[in-house]
Amino acid sequence: MKLRFVLLVTLAVLALPHTVKGQVKGLIVGPGAERYPLAVSPLKNLGPGEDAKKLSEGIADTIVRDLNLSGWFKVLDRSAYLENPQSSGVSLGSFDFKNWSVIGAEGLVKGTFELQGEELTVELRLFDVYQNKQIVGKRYAGLAKDFRRIAHRFADEIILQFTGVQGVFNTRIAYVSTGGGRFKEVYVAHLDGSEKVQVTNNRTINLSPSWSPDGRSILYTSYKDGNPNLYLFDLFAGKDAKFSSRTGLNLGGKWSPNGKFVAVTLERQGNTDIYLLDTAGSVKQRLTDYPGIDVSPSWSPDGQSLAFVSDRSGSPQIYIMEVESGKTRRLTFSGSYNTSPDWSPKGDKIAYTSRVGGRFHIFTIGVQGGEPQDLTPSSGDNEDPSWSPDGRYIAFSSNRRGPYNIYIMQGSGENQQRLTASGGDDKNPAWSPRLE
Amino acid sequence: MTGRSRETLSGWIFLAFLALAGCSTPATTKTEVAAAPPAGKQEAAKPSPQQSTGPSSLQALREGEAPTTPASSPLKEIYFDYDKYDLRADARETLKTNAEWLKANPSARVEVEGHCDERGTNEYNLALGAKRAQAAKDYLVTLGIPAQRLSTISYGKELPVCRESTEACWQKNRRDRFVVMTARPAS
Repeated sequence: MKLRFVLLVTLAVLALPHTVKGQVKGLIVGPGAERYPLAVSPLKNLGPGEDAKKLSEGIADTIVRDLNLSGWFKVLDRSAYLENPQSSGVSLGSFDFKNWSVIGAEGLVKGTFELQGEELTVELRLFDVYQNKQIVGKRYAGLAKDFRRIAHRFADEIILQFTGVQGVFNTRIAYVSTGGGRFKEVYVAHLDGSEKVQVTNNRTINLSPSWSPDGRSILYTSYKDGNPNLYLFDLFAGKDAKFSSRTGLNLGGKWSPNGKFVAVTLERQGNTDIYLLDTAGSVKQRLTDYPGIDVSPSWSPDGQSLAFVSDRSGSPQIYIMEVESGKTRRLTFSGSYNTSPDWSPKGDKIAYTSRVGGRFHIFTIGVQGGEPQDLTPSSGDNEDPSWSPDGRYIAFSSNRRGPYNIYIMQGSGENQQRLTASGGDDKNPAWSPRLE
Repeated sequence: MTGRSRETLSGWIFLAFLALAGCSTPATTKTEVAAAPPAGKQEAAKPSPQQSTGPSSLQALREGEAPTTPASSPLKEIYFDYDKYDLRADARETLKTNAEWLKANPSARVEVEGHCDERGTNEYNLALGAKRAQAAKDYLVTLGIPAQRLSTISYGKELPVCRESTEACWQKNRRDRFVVMTARPAS
């Protein structure tokens, strides 16, 4: 396949009023804020042909799904829209804002697309309906099959305009799934569930996928060669390589933020400890040396510390270790089962799994301790939290509807939404870094 | 930026290809763990087919069988309390019986599998299963079984024998299995 892409060339749409950030009416400041009512019009077809690929609605639908996942918008139902998107204009002055204010929209997304062969040009604009102003406009060029990525990119732009930080809709989630069968394989899917791809197919047990900081590859533990080894799958080259195959568990490898080390759980004669490996898989340093269980390391965003699980107090609890000094302190004191820590990319909180009354809930706690917050107080078993790269969302697995599925929620626990429904158990979500 | 974008896209194209091709990784070949060695080729140390310990739990998974130990197995499973890896009195008694068979069959190599119930997170349960397998191995060694005849592996909560969310079922899953190997386990 020839890679002749004018890939998602993004241009601010020319000859448009200058964008001033932070001047959006109803600026969204955080969880609990009222959802901002917004309309997303199907796009106007500027091309010569019929819209055989249904791009007009496909692009709009993708933006709607993203904005709903964000938890900050109330996207108005398309059936209420008064305009015909194919006959009305998309630039200031070429349509009537009253058609949108009358249905309750405060924000409006309009756009055009043009398909020449497989080459797709998309122009998208965000308007403030009350102030009759354009907030931002972007033009994208790519291939027809990239239409979702273009839509995600504009959704990220909308989030940037409203919150000051770019969205995370061009990210993916790696997870393991039985897919209705008996084997547990690694999958990668887009945040909206589209573009689901099976990464492993070795018909055994595959666990704990995690992303390299550049989003190129995935570390995972697999029983495919009998022993639970750590493997590195390069998503670009399609190459799978053994990374650590010491006798016993080689579990839960996590790249340091600078990409130089992998923190991993290794087992020696039943005893699990945390080690640092270099990028070739050689042991650089043993970090814990305790005869009980030490497992599940998670890096602080500055790469100076690791959160991990230890049963040294008699029950599994979360601990924090400074890598350089080895200084270790216990973080969790509530409950007798606290596992699977994930350190927020913002640095301030750690999400983890805690047993409450025989069920498992996702909690967050400040890195200095304090009162833990239960984010899933009343809905089945919830495990394995993984923060989004902007630190605003948490992916996790839950069996609240029967089998385990992957869900996401805001870091506050609000807006919990299911991402997967394979028919089997979907577990161990790992949120990718931002991908281009 | 443009170059990186292109590279990124080719990565996703590869993934799309994998999806279309139904993925290319060949299924791993069978392990060297045998369920019931064919009669005639059997060595003296191995249990007779009637006395098989069953295949390893991983092999059972591959073949679509339950990871059970046959009632006729000379090596019995032992059971643990929730979130514990110390040996209960009943487990010690079972291990003494297992040790007798191991002494009577001095060339048999055994893999001890540590398993957990469904509750809790995958990684912690894998660490717990490793402890459970090692606890049995250590006790067998104190009973005079050479350590080099015993290997361990943890399957955590990944290969339950019982799939109901009841204490009776969970107890069946919190177990060590003892599987006679026909060859030295891969290390």
